[in-house]
Amino acid sequence: MNKITYTILMIVSLFLVAGCSMDLPTQLEFESYEYASLDENGGDLQPILMSKGLDIFVEEPNGVNSPEFLEEVEQVKRQISSASEDQKRNVLQWTNNPVVRWNEIALELIAKYNLIPGPNPDGSYTLPNPASPDGPPPFPFAHPPYASRALAYLSVAQYDGLISAWYYKFQYNRPAPYQIDEEIPHAYVEQPIPAYPSSGAVVARASREVLTAMFPLEAAYLAAQEEKHLEALLLSGENVPSDVEAGLKIGNEIASKALERASSDGMKYAQTSKAVSDSIANAAFERFGWKWVNLESPQRPVGLTPLFGKVKMWNVPSVESTRPPVPPVPGTPAYEEDVRILLDYAANVTPERRRIANFWQDGLGTYTPPGHWNDFAIRDIVKNKLNPLRAARVMAFLNMAMMDAGISCWDAKYYYHYPRPIQLIEGFETIAGTPNFPAYTSGHSVFSASGAEVLAHFFPEKASQFRAWAEEAAISRVYGGIHWTFDATVGTTQGINVAQYSIDRAKTDGID
Amino acid sequence: MARTTLFLGLTLSSLTCWAQSPLDELMMPKNDICILFNYEYGQFDQYWEGDFLRENQTIATVQRRTAMLMAAYGINDRLDVYLGLPYVSTNSTIPNGGKFAGASGLQDISIGLKYKALEKSLGAGKLSAFGSLLFSTPASNYLSDYQPYSLGLGTPQLAWRGIGHFETEKGLYSRLALAYTWRGYTEAEREYYYNEGSYFTPWMDVPSSWNMDFTLGKWWMEKSLRVEVSISSQVSTSGDDIRAYNAPQPTNQVNFSRLGGFAHYYFQKVKGLGVLGYYQQVISGKNAPKMGAFGLGVTYQFGL
Repeated sequence: MNKITYTILMIVSLFLVAGCSMDLPTQLEFESYEYASLDENGGDLQPILMSKGLDIFVEEPNGVNSPEFLEEVEQVKRQISSASEDQKRNVLQWTNNPVVRWNEIALELIAKYNLIPGPNPDGSYTLPNPASPDGPPPFPFAHPPYASRALAYLSVAQYDGLISAWYYKFQYNRPAPYQIDEEIPHAYVEQPIPAYPSSGAVVARASREVLTAMFPLEAAYLAAQEEKHLEALLLSGENVPSDVEAGLKIGNEIASKALERASSDGMKYAQTSKAVSDSIANAAFERFGWKWVNLESPQRPVGLTPLFGKVKMWNVPSVESTRPPVPPVPGTPAYEEDVRILLDYAANVTPERRRIANFWQDGLGTYTPPGHWNDFAIRDIVKNKLNPLRAARVMAFLNMAMMDAGISCWDAKYYYHYPRPIQLIEGFETIAGTPNFPAYTSGHSVFSASGAEVLAHFFPEKASQFRAWAEEAAISRVYGGIHWTFDATVGTTQGINVAQYSIDRAKTDGID
Repeated sequence: MARTTLFLGLTLSSLTCWAQSPLDELMMPKNDICILFNYEYGQFDQYWEGDFLRENQTIATVQRRTAMLMAAYGINDRLDVYLGLPYVSTNSTIPNGGKFAGASGLQDISIGLKYKALEKSLGAGKLSAFGSLLFSTPASNYLSDYQPYSLGLGTPQLAWRGIGHFETEKGLYSRLALAYTWRGYTEAEREYYYNEGSYFTPWMDVPSSWNMDFTLGKWWMEKSLRVEVSISSQVSTSGDDIRAYNAPQPTNQVNFSRLGGFAHYYFQKVKGLGVLGYYQQVISGKNAPKMGAFGLGVTYQFGL
């Protein structure tokens, strides 16, 4: 061995030491924090699925001096003192804002199930079937419309449930066990919020029930997550079992209201037969002289959820009121200019355009564009130290607006049935995957613009950042080669319009 | 006069490892340099999704072309250093259902060392043993998270290899190379991915692997020609499976076995000049393309 060898070996070894230990985050890292507000009157907020928070009845708890309550306090004290290290870690893991953690569970399941069914050996396609979720293919295919809807029901159920919980908390004012007995350690930051009913239990049960309906094959996983969360509530020193029981009651009732709406919102008819799909395409062809066709091999007979545009909206009275104008007719100068732009982008994939196309792709196997905006939202919720009620409120309006955005976008997609660039430009190639639905308007644009508007409303100091992101998400699809520029620009306007209905509702719900 | 080959064993598409390795038994004389220019063409129309061998008309047949320049230098009679730089281009055949653009550009620059640790007579032949190290790292900003068209895995790699070689006086030989290939992280251009759970980061952990090559060969024509057959395999130590009808990603566990044939001819009349050719076919795998590839190269060796 000589000097050169030795030097190279040293460099290599140093690199190994430095490179081996990268920490790859699997969740948002944060600890229990002091809430920016307590919202003692939060129980008076206007819920989404019922008329008032007190529509769900929660009986008065045993008093702080009752033997029943004191026995409960003793019980959790014993449990805490004998908690294992794993259990203590679990308490810290859930933090004092479990809205974030349950949202992360939803994002994980979306990414897990966002897989498009492949063809059968004979070239046919089998679609996921909720009646036999095991498949193959497994149910659901958690595509962006499906994801937006799952997130909307999740967040609305959490929000309404927490309004009820807040109402009774400040109605009954029963303290937490750590406030009763000084020897009970409190795992989280101390703040004067009554413990009965447990807001954590509301979130746990509402989330578990909604997500189990949306992802039926994950029932056991979700039950296990709920069990861990409920254990954390008791071992944190914040709740006794009767707090948790009352929270679970709220969670059950609000979840069933949410799922009742979901069962009749029209989603079950969104994926149509080939006959219906063909008639929708032909109607567009009669109207405009063009129709989108799927170019996959083997060809998919039906586009993705042709009737998602007919699903019941949350805050927009009629989907037609948000339908954009007719896109440029192929062959006209406006259209030819777009072809020129797309060919230019395809021929000049700059590092920046490639980065933008990939950053916002949120394609198959990921948490989808609505998931990306949920990811943004929870970071700002934690950064702004929102309490769970405020957090759920942001998420509910965000996800209602994005589901409405998806419905409006899908209405346009199948009304106009506008072809993708690969269909109209001979030999065109893309750096993003072309989805199985018409081009106009871009889903990314509409989802993102609506999400950005809602977040701009709740976090106004960051409004310009959110809007810049939404515009980048929109143009990313053009850089990817799968959308026309007018899909993106018109889609952005459409998303802004749709979001306004949710923002108007948020302005009058009684808290700001 | 000692002769040198440079043979880059594993140019098996981005789906598998990229480990150009000085994995043979030949040493350069001190202060000799050998230059290799190699062209490789590989293609596959089937791949293993987990253990399931499938076709996918979205990508049709994926083609991969690699032009490689490599140099070896004898620091002394027991120690060689290697440098390599490949240019790769990929695409799908037309027609295909995905309409994806291919990729092209410089892949990974590599630097390697090979040390001759042992040489002794054993019965009717000669036994030798070597240790080699091969480090590589991306030479351009290619995107590893664009499979199956990615040029490479986009991560630093370090292969620690031990080589044992036994050769009879008649020029028949067998060789076994065992390597542990450490791979680091690759940076995607997205901040979320799924790897049996959520990851909120652009960084992906690329699995390390054990790599084995077993070779049988013979010298012919007064040591002007060597011909080899080999079997190679890779077993990754971690990683997830390609998900159903989904694109691969750098976190996948890539395993494979591959058969290969190789010949290198040294011109008697033109001192230092050689040509080589090889063919390789993957025969089994996991999360790997069923790639078949051939390569042609020219070597030129000279003293300083």
